[in-house]
Amino acid sequence: MFKRKRGEVVLSLESFEVEVLDQLFDQMIALVEIEPMPVEDPLERLVGLNGPSIKPSDPAMARLFPDAYIDDFEAAADFRRYTEHEMRNSKAMKARISQSLLHDWSGKRAMTDEQAMAWLLSLNDMRLALGTRLDITEDSNDRDEENAPGYELYDWLTYLQGTLVDSLTNR
Amino acid sequence: MSIAPTELTESNTRTDRPWITLVWNDPINLMSYVTFVFQEYFGYDKNKAELLMLDVHQKGRAVVSSGSREEMERDVQAMHGYGLWATLQKDDQ
Repeated sequence: MFKRKRGEVVLSLESFEVEVLDQLFDQMIALVEIEPMPVEDPLERLVGLNGPSIKPSDPAMARLFPDAYIDDFEAAADFRRYTEHEMRNSKAMKARISQSLLHDWSGKRAMTDEQAMAWLLSLNDMRLALGTRLDITEDSNDRDEENAPGYELYDWLTYLQGTLVDSLTNR
Repeated sequence: MSIAPTELTESNTRTDRPWITLVWNDPINLMSYVTFVFQEYFGYDKNKAELLMLDVHQKGRAVVSSGSREEMERDVQAMHGYGLWATLQKDDQ
């Protein structure tokens, strides 16, 4: 869990928790780094116009990279072409920053507010991806027992993120 | 359902600011996190950020900012960066 101690955000984790998170970061990085369309034209690659224009078919990816316009398909496609590549890189970078803090783990680690922000966004991305796959609703009674391990992981990530929000809010 | 939340001040609804950013409710983002994002990114005070978050949660969506189309595209991209479900549109009020 996260705690604020003497002005710093401190994360404490058991070693099995570190292993789980390390794997989740690997998966997140692989997930967001898949380029949906090859960039072939060097000029278009340079100016970044050849990004994807269609919402990802995987619901988890569609949730991470939603359409910016609801009723204007063309504008939504343009927006995606200009932004999605950068958004993917940004999410992968934050996951890498967060993951790097797990190396040589010794029970707890203090982090800068910038590192804590990377963790905050990465944990949220993980919850969005996992929560969408689990078809999370606001009613916890809707849960399918077959997915119990998935829900357990999701709830733990929720708890972890909640403690981080508290640490960042109560400075 | 009304699009414009009650918190919008006069300066937000002037005719020279014809585009709006909407944030939509979703079952995953934590209420405390959404409030934090509104404070962090828009610089809103805690009270305003909480009212907007509650609007999203209870009404399904809320207008979180208004301005030029370019400004709203920047806000929407930032919201997506935080993992919030946001869209922009012309303010038809």
